[in-house]
Amino acid sequence: MDTDYIIITNNPFVASEYGEDHLVDYQEESFISLLQRVQRFVYEGHELLSHPLSGSVKPKETLYKSVLIAKKVAGLDLSSLKLIDSSIETCEKFHYKEETNEKNLEDMRFVDYTLISSAIASADV
Amino acid sequence: MKLEMGHINIKDVQFGSESKIADGVLYVSEDALRQVVLEDEKLKSVSFDIAKPGESVRITPVKDVIEPRVKVEGQGGIFPGVISKVGTVGSGKTYALKGMAVVTAGKIVGFQEGIIDMTGPGADYTPFSKLINLVMVIEPIADIKQHQYEKAVRLAGFRAATYIGELARELTPDETHIYETCTMKEGLEKYPELPRVAYVQMLQSQGLLHDTYVYGVDAKQTLPTILNPTEVMDGAIVSGNCVSACDKNTTYHHLNNPVITDLFAEHGKTINFVCQIITNENVYLADKERSSDWTAKLCKMLDLDGIILSQEGFGNPDTDLIMNCKKIEAQGVKTVIITDEYAGRDGKSQSLADADAAADAVVTGGNANQVIILPKLDKVIGTMDYITKIAGASDETLREDGSLEVELQVITGATNETGFNRLSAR
Repeated sequence: MDTDYIIITNNPFVASEYGEDHLVDYQEESFISLLQRVQRFVYEGHELLSHPLSGSVKPKETLYKSVLIAKKVAGLDLSSLKLIDSSIETCEKFHYKEETNEKNLEDMRFVDYTLISSAIASADV
Repeated sequence: MKLEMGHINIKDVQFGSESKIADGVLYVSEDALRQVVLEDEKLKSVSFDIAKPGESVRITPVKDVIEPRVKVEGQGGIFPGVISKVGTVGSGKTYALKGMAVVTAGKIVGFQEGIIDMTGPGADYTPFSKLINLVMVIEPIADIKQHQYEKAVRLAGFRAATYIGELARELTPDETHIYETCTMKEGLEKYPELPRVAYVQMLQSQGLLHDTYVYGVDAKQTLPTILNPTEVMDGAIVSGNCVSACDKNTTYHHLNNPVITDLFAEHGKTINFVCQIITNENVYLADKERSSDWTAKLCKMLDLDGIILSQEGFGNPDTDLIMNCKKIEAQGVKTVIITDEYAGRDGKSQSLADADAAADAVVTGGNANQVIILPKLDKVIGTMDYITKIAGASDETLREDGSLEVELQVITGATNETGFNRLSAR
């Protein structure tokens, strides 16, 4: 499927559900590392298409995050820059939670999947 | 629209052989209610319990809190588009059972949301410690997907509240409150000198455990629109979200939104309460731009002088909040925001994830990161298995003496952003 966005994610469930017919850039990494990766894309000129702090399970209370960015490199978009920078800054006030229970991890992956799916539904219109 | 809300004051709730209300006491037949709940084959079992104010009881994990209602006269039915058929509500006569609520509880996903303590310091931070709660702990069948279970529990709660509300149909209310709205033209003619004020309510709309429904429509799919405030009082909006507990609007909050009742109290006196505008909080950034553009456009088209703007949630919705505020102010319409804060445990961090100079009139619902110690209570309805997983808790939450060190985030309704809490400035 030819989309004009890329799904940046650390969520293997999102990668497997969307990997076949969407552009997915998956890496196994921490929540904050995922946001920093998105930040690098923004600095390279990709526009942010979904909010990096989607969902109310707070940063560091969930391990997984998926974010949509524009495929096209259009030059530095200042509102994307402001948003990703402030999102990373916001993460600092939350406390990291360790999670090892596989069922809980599966649930976190699924909720992140539904959040990014709502963005993809809008993007695909 | 003219809505007569009749209050049936419930002073006690007991289980009995037959469901009925007599002399202010609600008797519930567990067998009959079980049939109503387990109508959905995706639900395996349900247990019922009653929690009363002052008891040493903790209810967790809380999904939704619902006030039982019955529509005795007028168009539409209870929870239109969800339980009743779609039909415009907000007029006629509706009775509400006051002093009690149906609470749904049970594990849907691994990070559990919501504690209601019926006594102790935690009780001070939730309005639901003041109600007699009929709690339903619901278990799904095996191999059910999380979103199927969420929907099944959500609808079971509404069915139960409707079944119980129906018991009040033939009663005479203990008190009646009348709410009347004007058309645009009527309002202009009747109150030409009063400031035109509307309530802009932002609805959570992001995905599983983060959704809200308007006449049965997922708020993610909606564009900003106008409602009569009595429609919201009469059940047009219901909750499908419980993450995080402190600032989610339960269905009870939607049915009893204090912004609406307070604006009605001033209507015709200090303000002309023109209408309610609802908008959403989608994840996709273009949706945020569209919705905030639209909301600002409606404010301008309605010739409003000012609005109260409440959000639901934190982080992603803060972007919508500031977009709405900036754009509405740019139309020459004054805004007052109601929001809670995530200012860190020491209260020193920036409270919101976004900010703008236009957002200079803000009423706080409290700091969700504020730490509280909840004592061990004698009884738990639900399960404590996931207590460390709730947003606002951590691996250090459960202390040796059985008390919980948590943030206010974990308490259902603690920093509610319609001001339905004790932390707001008045």
